Amino acid sequence: MMRNKINKKQILSLGDRYRIYVLFVLVFVVMTLFAPHFFNAWNLTSIMKTVAMNGTVAIGFTIILIVGQLDLSIGTIITFAAVIGLGLKDAVGYGVSVPLAIIAGGLIGLINGLLVAKVKINSFIVTLGMLTALQGAIYTITGGNTIAVTDDQAFAISDWLQHQIVPMLTPRVIIAIVLVVSFSIFLRRTRKGRNFFMVGGNSKTAWLAGVDSDKYTIVAFVISGVMAAIGGILFAMESAAATLNLGTNSLMYVLSATIIGGTSMAGGKGGVFRSFIAVLTLTTLYNGIVLLGLGNEVQIFISGIILASVILYEAFVEYRHDKVVGQRPELLKELNTIQ
Amino acid sequence: MKKSFSLLVVLVLALTFAGAVFANGGSESSTDAAGSGNLEASLALAGQVDALTAADGQPLIKVSGTGREVPARPADPEALPEDNPLHWWDMEFAGWNSTKKNIPDSPKDGAIGKKVIMIVHGDHPWTTACINGATKVADVYNMDFKALSPNWDLAVQNQMIDQAINERPDLLLLIPLDAKTAPQQARKINQAGVPLIMFNTLPEAEAMDYCIAWTGPDDFGQFRKLSHLWADKLGKEGGVAYIQHAPGGSPYFARYWGPRSELAEYAPGIKVLDAQAPGFEADKTQQLVSDWLTRFGDEIVGICAADDSAQGLGISEALKKAGREDIVVIAAGNSKQGMDLVKSGDIYAITYQTAEGDGALAVKTAADWFNGEELPPVRYLPQHMITIDDVEDFYPPQW
Amino acid sequence: MSDLEQNKTDLRSVSQTGFLKILNVAGIYGVVVLFILLGIFLQLLGVINNFMTASNMLNIVDAVSMLGIVALGMAFITYSGHFADLSAPTTMALTGIVAVQMLQFGFVAAIVSAFIVGTIIGLINAFAIGKLKVNPIIWTLALNYMTLGVIRVIWANKQIYPDMIASSEKAVELFDNIYRLRFFNKIALPMIMLIILVFLFHFVMSKSKFGIQLKITGAAKKSAEYSGINVERMIGAAFIISALTATLGGLTVTSLSRVGAWYNGAGYDFKAVTAIVIGGMTLAGGRGSIIGVLGGVLVIGLMNNLMTLLGVGTFSQDMIRGIIFIIVVGLNAKSLRNLGRDDA
Repeated sequence: MMRNKINKKQILSLGDRYRIYVLFVLVFVVMTLFAPHFFNAWNLTSIMKTVAMNGTVAIGFTIILIVGQLDLSIGTIITFAAVIGLGLKDAVGYGVSVPLAIIAGGLIGLINGLLVAKVKINSFIVTLGMLTALQGAIYTITGGNTIAVTDDQAFAISDWLQHQIVPMLTPRVIIAIVLVVSFSIFLRRTRKGRNFFMVGGNSKTAWLAGVDSDKYTIVAFVISGVMAAIGGILFAMESAAATLNLGTNSLMYVLSATIIGGTSMAGGKGGVFRSFIAVLTLTTLYNGIVLLGLGNEVQIFISGIILASVILYEAFVEYRHDKVVGQRPELLKELNTIQ
Repeated sequence: MKKSFSLLVVLVLALTFAGAVFANGGSESSTDAAGSGNLEASLALAGQVDALTAADGQPLIKVSGTGREVPARPADPEALPEDNPLHWWDMEFAGWNSTKKNIPDSPKDGAIGKKVIMIVHGDHPWTTACINGATKVADVYNMDFKALSPNWDLAVQNQMIDQAINERPDLLLLIPLDAKTAPQQARKINQAGVPLIMFNTLPEAEAMDYCIAWTGPDDFGQFRKLSHLWADKLGKEGGVAYIQHAPGGSPYFARYWGPRSELAEYAPGIKVLDAQAPGFEADKTQQLVSDWLTRFGDEIVGICAADDSAQGLGISEALKKAGREDIVVIAAGNSKQGMDLVKSGDIYAITYQTAEGDGALAVKTAADWFNGEELPPVRYLPQHMITIDDVEDFYPPQW
Repeated sequence: MSDLEQNKTDLRSVSQTGFLKILNVAGIYGVVVLFILLGIFLQLLGVINNFMTASNMLNIVDAVSMLGIVALGMAFITYSGHFADLSAPTTMALTGIVAVQMLQFGFVAAIVSAFIVGTIIGLINAFAIGKLKVNPIIWTLALNYMTLGVIRVIWANKQIYPDMIASSEKAVELFDNIYRLRFFNKIALPMIMLIILVFLFHFVMSKSKFGIQLKITGAAKKSAEYSGINVERMIGAAFIISALTATLGGLTVTSLSRVGAWYNGAGYDFKAVTAIVIGGMTLAGGRGSIIGVLGGVLVIGLMNNLMTLLGVGTFSQDMIRGIIFIIVVGLNAKSLRNLGRDDA
């Protein structure tokens, strides 16, 4: 790349790709300046802890969007994994119940993926049906009761999960960051990772290149299920309890964050790390709003505005692109010089 | 270029976080009011507080006079059948046998100017009224009062607890979103040294060990009383059906197993036909009740609902449609729609549960603690059954 | 999809069992008949009673009237290949609460202002999705949030009651009757609205020029554009129709609950999509019919009715609903594919 040709176009395109980082820094600075009690270790740690769950789930959701699908069932998978992980603890202990919970999440994802890829039902519908069925199953299994583990070992683990290994980073946060970085590298630097983008962005090319779209789609759903399960079970272990609507709000949260982070619903574009930063941004924003003493209605409204702005901006970019697609500026210039 | 840019961004992020670690902020001690002078002034305000009224014209602060008659705890409540009222002892009488752990002592310097944070459970016009009532009392004592709502999300409530602890209030008022996670929350707050009063929703018994006190409606008690009224009206026999609250919370148990276990002893001739939890939607409830009427026909003579607004309306619509207004309906109150239905005779009786009073009592209890009063572990709101005879006294509605 | 994928479809076994064939021809009504037969069977067995009575059947239709009204309008959006209108819940809430607020000026003012607000929301959606071409799911979701925030700010987190604000008792009665007015003491107004809309919308969707153009837009957008169809306007009209039926639904729900509140209509977005899809419309667009949507709505009502008559617990009902949903849609997709008529 020619170092001395940093022109306007490049800055704009950089801004496009990195706008979530810019947004994050902006939100962070504004909150630091204006929100009381915001900028201190305790509060920032609290933010990180909240980010840990949704950030993990967002990894899977981002991959799903990248392959051009949708997974509405992540919220209930979170709850399901938490219920299984905690519910079976008394019988078999965390050592077995936690992996079981994660496998369960993966299995749900597998079912989703098979229905989407092999039976060819639209993912919106499959995951919508799965969402309802799973929520009903959760209620049926638990009989409507929250699951709480109250033995000393559970409390000890809960306490351990809450202590800070490194300033501001508790174990769940570290796990989330490790997962984010790993998947980010995987998606961008390995062949298999980049194939996900191809499956979502240009299915014809994927077919021609010998990439099995079905397999990648199924794998994407499995990853989504596993990530949701990890996020859910870790959160539940820290609270030493699993409520029956633990993950219900996560869907909208993660969906908004992923879109704001720059991943496109159309597929083929996006990034796991950016989604993570987007979750961080939204959490910081909400945290600050509460500290500023503003009510939930403000938070809801701002979510809507940010989401709308993001997709409006993207539509605008595409409109601008469509206007000049196929044009060749140097020919136009030639034409103008002749006349 | 792109690589170095992304590195730069990550570096900035890392530096910011590192900086925050060493940043010193957040711990602000509340303004210390001058010692005993504050206490006297605070005690003098009691009369003003008692004179406050809620939007419905009822006095804002009313404590259930004699408290509750608490039966002895059976050795193992869980072992008893669910139909036995004592099975629910731990839930119903949580707090009455708690051993307080590490409760901070009252500073005994009055409530004036104290910093109090209230965390409710979610957004709803009910909670708006509750916070309203709380603010009325807080204003009398000139408290630095703030109310937060996590909009029914447990993760957000936990985060708000963190934020609240960070602000080092003089006292924290909390409606626990979930009975079973409450002990964890209470422990955390207790360990941070912040005085805690839980209110409105009963937590699991263990949480009470970490609270100064609990205030709120005596849901179980009210519904036991209400069931007696109901059974008497029904002549102590017939088939009934229950419409339940959202599963898992204390109202779910109080408003279903409360009356059910009570009637198992009081009116064994009453048979429970079905119990469902359709949520708080009028149309869903209507379909449910219509189907019940189809299914049970004349066998069903009574319906008990956990909510008198949406559920109450659904029930009354279904009954009207089928011409079965003979069915006796009781519900948990007291919303405006519910009171209207009582007035029109569609509902026989509802429980009185003041929203403003709930928040107000919590703040008043906090003030009493600041004044150094000895507090009972549990304080109930006034109990009352609203029937067509006195429903007019409760207008205009609080929310 | 590419030719080679098409071949993959054809090479699969094209023979359909008789069941699949019936299902495909009858569409969702095959499932309706199935459930009714199941109900009769269970009644004959003595497991349930009173299923095949006029009042029970009326109850079923009654229970799903409001959902049906909203779903019928949203069907146009799905038909055009734009998935769904996730802003329906708050449209319902906003039009409802505006109507209650305007009752202080009389019943007519209330209804008119509700429809004005609904039209405005429809226009906003039409512009953003039709002209600016943003993703409909995300946009309507964002609008949902914004509208919710607006309602809560304007009405300060409170709810308002018709009879406390209306200009006259007559106005309250009229508003109350939106849900409760009954003809011949049996047929409620929402049901009448549903039936009228079914006839009207079915004609528009399958016989009018607009409907056919909408179908092409959904089935093959580029072809539609090249054929000179004003795609933007088609899509815009679909969203306006959806907003209008949401308004109607909002007025009905608000009338039922006797309160104007921000939470009215919650859940109707996913419920409506479920009904639409179960009724045979694919999310890809260009396939299905209004009669199908009605069938989908009836199936949902039948399911709920049967399960309650059987005494199935509420929790299990959710689970069964989700599973049946996937099965019905899956069968539909599979049968279409086996006939070689669909690959979406």
